[in-house]
Amino acid sequence: MGAVTDDEVIRKRLLIDGDGAGDDRRINVLLKSFTKWCNSPATPEEGFTQYQRMLGTLAQCEFSMGKTLMVYDMNLREMENYEKIYTNIEQNITSAHEKIAECKKEIQRAKRIRKNRQEYDALAKVIQQHPDRHETLKQLEALDKELQQLSHIKENVDAKLELRKKQFHVLLSTIQELQQTLENDEKSDNDDNNQESPAENGE
Amino acid sequence: MGPVELLHMSVFSQSFSPCGRFLAAGNNYGEIALFSLSAALSPDATGLSQKPVLTFTAHEGPVFSLLSTDCHLLSAGNGEVSAWSWTELIKKNVKPLWTKRPNYKSSLEIPEINSMTINSRDNSLIVGGGDNNLHVLDLEHGVFKAVLQGHSDYVHCVTMREREAEILSGGEDGAVRMWDLHVCFSLTERLSVFQSCARPQFGKWISCLTTDSDWMLCGGGPSLSLWHLRSLSPTSTFPLSGCQRQAAFYQDMILAVGEGPFVSHCLLGGDVKAQIPCSPQSLNTLQLNTNSTEHRVLTVGGSSAHIDVFTNLSYRAFSLSF
Repeated sequence: MGAVTDDEVIRKRLLIDGDGAGDDRRINVLLKSFTKWCNSPATPEEGFTQYQRMLGTLAQCEFSMGKTLMVYDMNLREMENYEKIYTNIEQNITSAHEKIAECKKEIQRAKRIRKNRQEYDALAKVIQQHPDRHETLKQLEALDKELQQLSHIKENVDAKLELRKKQFHVLLSTIQELQQTLENDEKSDNDDNNQESPAENGE
Repeated sequence: MGPVELLHMSVFSQSFSPCGRFLAAGNNYGEIALFSLSAALSPDATGLSQKPVLTFTAHEGPVFSLLSTDCHLLSAGNGEVSAWSWTELIKKNVKPLWTKRPNYKSSLEIPEINSMTINSRDNSLIVGGGDNNLHVLDLEHGVFKAVLQGHSDYVHCVTMREREAEILSGGEDGAVRMWDLHVCFSLTERLSVFQSCARPQFGKWISCLTTDSDWMLCGGGPSLSLWHLRSLSPTSTFPLSGCQRQAAFYQDMILAVGEGPFVSHCLLGGDVKAQIPCSPQSLNTLQLNTNSTEHRVLTVGGSSAHIDVFTNLSYRAFSLSF
C-alpha cells in the first residue's frame, strides 16, 4: 500500500514538476514550445500566438536574469561597504586603545601631582602655625638693641667703679704714708729724748 | 581544621611571592597557607581556586609577620625566624631552609616576634619583638650582628626608611624611635606623639608604622597621623574611629585597616575619602601586590578565616578562605 502511494507520489511530482522549478522550467518549456512551434503545421494565427507567447517567456527569462545580475552587483557592493565599515571600526578600536593608554598615563601623572599638592598643603599648614619671619627678625633686632644698650650701661658703671676704686686706693695709701711718717717722727723724737736723759744721768 | 577552629582563626600576616602569583598568609595557629592568585583571578575560577594550594604548620605560635625577599619567604613565629624557599613551596615542599633565634637575655620566656623588615643595602633583617629590642640579622652570614635597645616596652612594628637608611620602630611605650644604620645603630630621634593625635582612652601604643622616606604614618592607640620626617612635625590627623593596625601609601591615597570591618581610604590632607566594607570584623593586615602587573590586587585579612581580595580598590571582589 505504502509503495504504491510512493510511486503515485513520485509520478505525480514528475508530472507536475518534471522540468525543474522556476526559471529552469521556463527555459525548458520555452525550448519545448519552440521545437513544437517549428514542427507544428498549425494555422498562422495560432503560430503567431505561440510565437508571441514564446517571446513573452523569453522576455520573462531575460528579466529574471537581469534581476539576478543586479542582486549580485548589489551584494558585491554591500560586501565592500561592510569591509569599509569593518576597517573603520578596527581603526577606531586601536585609536581608542591608544587614547585609553594615554589617559591612564595622564591619570597617574595627575595622581602624583595631587599627592605633591597635598603634601605641600600639609607642610604649609604646619608652617602657618609658626610666626612670621619678619616679625621674629624685628623682635630679634629690638632685643639686640636692648642688649647693646644694657652692655653699654654696664661698661660705664664698670669704668666708674674702677675709677672710684683707684681714687680710694690713692687716698688710703696717702693716709697710710702720712701715718707712717708721723709714727717715724714720734719714734725718732722719743729716741732723741732717751739719748739725752741717760747722758745727763751719766754726768 | 574543624569549624570551631575556623571560627576562631585570625590572619595576622600576608606576603606576596616575588613573581606575584602566590599569596602566603599566616594565622594564629602557626600555619601558613599558600593561595594561587592566578587561579583565583582567572576567568574560570571556581570555589576550589579560592582555597589554599598548600597549608602547613610553620611555627608553634602565631605567625605575626611574613616577609618576601627575592627568593625566600621569611616567617616569624614564637621567637624564631624561619626561611622558606618560594620555589620549593610552590612545589609543595615544606622544609624550611633555616630557623634562627635571636639571643634573648632571659631564657624563661620566649618573646614573640611582632614585625620584621629588610634592609636591602647590606642584606640584613631587622626583627622587633617582645623583648623590647630590635635584633639585626645578617642574611649572608646568618649571624645576629647587633641589638638596638631603647624601647621600654615591646616593639609592635618596624619599618625601613630607604633613602636615609634608617629604621623606624614603634612600640607599646608610645614612642617611635629612629635608628641610624650608618653610624653603627645609634638612636637619632625619638618622636613622642603630640597632643593632637593622642587618644588616652585607647592608650599610647603605636601599632602601625609605615613610611615612604619623607613622610611617615603612625597610629594605634593615638589616631592615625601623618608626619613629615625632616621637620619631625605632625601634619595631619585622620579622624578614624578605631585603632589602626596597618597602613600603606598608595599613589595619592592612604589605605588604612584596623578595628572595624572596612578599609579606609584617606587623602593626605586628613580627610577620609571612603570606607570600603569587608567581611572580617576587624582587620590586621593589608598588602598590595606590586610584584606583578596582571595580578594587581589588594588583600586584607583579619579576625576571620577569610582574606578579602580587591581587584578594584572600590569594592571587594571575592574572598580567599583557609
